[in-house]
Amino acid sequence: MVVEVLKGCKILRHDDRVTVAEVSPERAREIAKGLFNAGCYYSCGMGVDERPVNMRFAMYHVFNCEAERRHVILKLTTPTNELTLPSITPVIEGASWSEREAMDMLGIIFDGHPEPERLILPEDWPEGVYPLRKDFPYNKKLPPAKPKEGRKKPRPDIIEVPLGPYHPTLHEPEYFELYVKGDKIVDAKYRGFHIHRGMEKLAESRMTLNQVPFLAERICGICGCTHSTAYCQAVEDAAGIYVPERARYIRTIMLEIERLHSHLLWFGVACHLLGFDSGFMHLWRAREYIMDIAELITGNRKTYGINIIGGVRRDIPEKKKRKVLELLDLAEKDSREILDNVVKMGELKERMENVGVLPKKKGREIGVVGPVARASGIDTDVRRDHPYAAYGDLDFEVPVYKGEDVLSRFLVRYDETFQSFSMIKQALDNMPEGELINEDYEIPSFKLGLGVTEAPRGEDVHLVITWGENKVYRWHPRASTYNNLPAIPIMLRGNDIADAPIIIASIDPCFSCTDHVSIIDSENGRVLWRGSLEEGIRRVGNGKA
Amino acid sequence: MIKRSLWVFHLNSGSCNGCDIEVLNMFAPRNDVERLGIKLVGSPRHADAIAFTGPITRECLPKVIDALTAVPDPKVVLAIGACACGGGIWYDTYSVIGGIKELYKILKEEYNIEPPATVFIPGCPPKPEAIIYGVALARGMLQKKQFAQVYVEPEESLEAEKSRLEALVREAKGTRHFLPKIAVRRV
Repeated sequence: MVVEVLKGCKILRHDDRVTVAEVSPERAREIAKGLFNAGCYYSCGMGVDERPVNMRFAMYHVFNCEAERRHVILKLTTPTNELTLPSITPVIEGASWSEREAMDMLGIIFDGHPEPERLILPEDWPEGVYPLRKDFPYNKKLPPAKPKEGRKKPRPDIIEVPLGPYHPTLHEPEYFELYVKGDKIVDAKYRGFHIHRGMEKLAESRMTLNQVPFLAERICGICGCTHSTAYCQAVEDAAGIYVPERARYIRTIMLEIERLHSHLLWFGVACHLLGFDSGFMHLWRAREYIMDIAELITGNRKTYGINIIGGVRRDIPEKKKRKVLELLDLAEKDSREILDNVVKMGELKERMENVGVLPKKKGREIGVVGPVARASGIDTDVRRDHPYAAYGDLDFEVPVYKGEDVLSRFLVRYDETFQSFSMIKQALDNMPEGELINEDYEIPSFKLGLGVTEAPRGEDVHLVITWGENKVYRWHPRASTYNNLPAIPIMLRGNDIADAPIIIASIDPCFSCTDHVSIIDSENGRVLWRGSLEEGIRRVGNGKA
Repeated sequence: MIKRSLWVFHLNSGSCNGCDIEVLNMFAPRNDVERLGIKLVGSPRHADAIAFTGPITRECLPKVIDALTAVPDPKVVLAIGACACGGGIWYDTYSVIGGIKELYKILKEEYNIEPPATVFIPGCPPKPEAIIYGVALARGMLQKKQFAQVYVEPEESLEAEKSRLEALVREAKGTRHFLPKIAVRRV
């Protein structure tokens, strides 16, 4: 199917996992539409400054094709000394953010983009400065420019309620603007990208190839291990590095431990947001066993630092394995008891049922991933569709619910939690003996690699272009929340304002993952916030309680 | 510094979440700091202390300054994690201000605000026990174990010793670590 769609394009790579094709700009929309109709959804896009190599800019669009279990990468290049490319957003809605990101960071102009505004750079960032171009030094600190004047007039019948950037229910600085009529949310706007730390630029300038896994781990403090795994897989894919079996199993165990801690954390936060603080306390008590396991294996409760290109850095010896199994049993018994009681509570069920609905069709168009997709009836899981690490050898089920609401997202995570317990046990039992790391490899120059993992929140995609001299030329991580966030305004519409915190939390948002590239924001976020932070907290805070 | 119950406002200035979940973890059953009178509050105006995480991104800076100045005096800042203490791995990138020391410089230069009392809790992320230790320091329950002093062995000639001390002081001042005063003592 995919091959038929790509007929007439120059195929740069075609194997059992990935197809890379160079597409001429005129045919870009037609081929993107063809891929979408063939059952592929838009996964991510990366803009690259390839001027040192061939005097062009390039845009890589990645599609995930579950039916054929492969990723399709379309490469578009600008004509020499030009900046224009056709936008594929008119046919693929999910590409909107990726293209705006490339506009901000590289200055590529996307022809026909419906909304060619700044997504990213802050209002005081000077015009015409593009941080990801190769001639921009990573540590250049620019003085603030004068922000653009003008703020659009609010409609008289609609009240704007700001939520954030510092809000009791958000533990990260993010800004939501809710438009409210009475108690109902009419529309919502997300303005994020407060946590842009210039990570991609840092990786390609100051860091070396084997330092980036530790940088990748700090994309997010909750799901860091899956980012470093995805980065290592991308480099291993580009250079064709063999990873020893035992290392694959240890990676799997750490990834599942991370999923457990992340899901139990989310259950706790969800209970807290629904006003059930006892649930929060008990779930976080059960979660401590998982943190102990992580500390036992890696030496740290979070940011494990276990992955490195070609393998892992620490072993799980027999003595530790027995202790891990003991702790795991305790954690499973505890969390099953608590979660079973939580699921049975009618009050919680009523707060979650038919709240924050995301229809399947809409979800597919945006390209939502992970538990959000599975709760809307989209059967997708990277661990099953594109097996990596040791997932191919393990026996597990992918829960799919058709409720499309917050309750379904809760139940998907509930099922996944117990699948994870079983997976860790299987991996510990079947772990083969052998090497931990393969250090015998050579990194080719200017080669594209793709690494994909299933984070607790959904599919993480890392694209790497290698460079000689122990460097990466370009590294683009795409976190799962990046794909899920555009769904929030759709989920919020028509709901009570009191339900806003739980709806936002229901995608398990991880803003620091999403903001790795971007800064913020648009016309008026700051002005509005200054005037009305306390008012906003009071209104929304009281509504919640 | 503060003797009674400490109410904490959690201020994330662009952290990766690692420190933030450990701050939340303090309030979970295992460490349960509410039994010590420590409480997380939703508004900076109710707080005595700020649990400060993150390297301060360019976008967050004005918002962080607003929140910080909204906390009434006397206040204590707990700088939690490597990023808050010194900017972390991204201390010099284009979109990061680089740690709380740089923030204090901006506060001093542009707003003429003296830096509040600060407890530095390094780690990536620090363990909840370490954060509780920092809180105990802030409340004056414990004595600091670290002093900003450099100890040196006496040299033979006074001139050589003097130049070496000067070099040491220069080096210490040049680091990005927080060393408020450098006193040199002869052992």
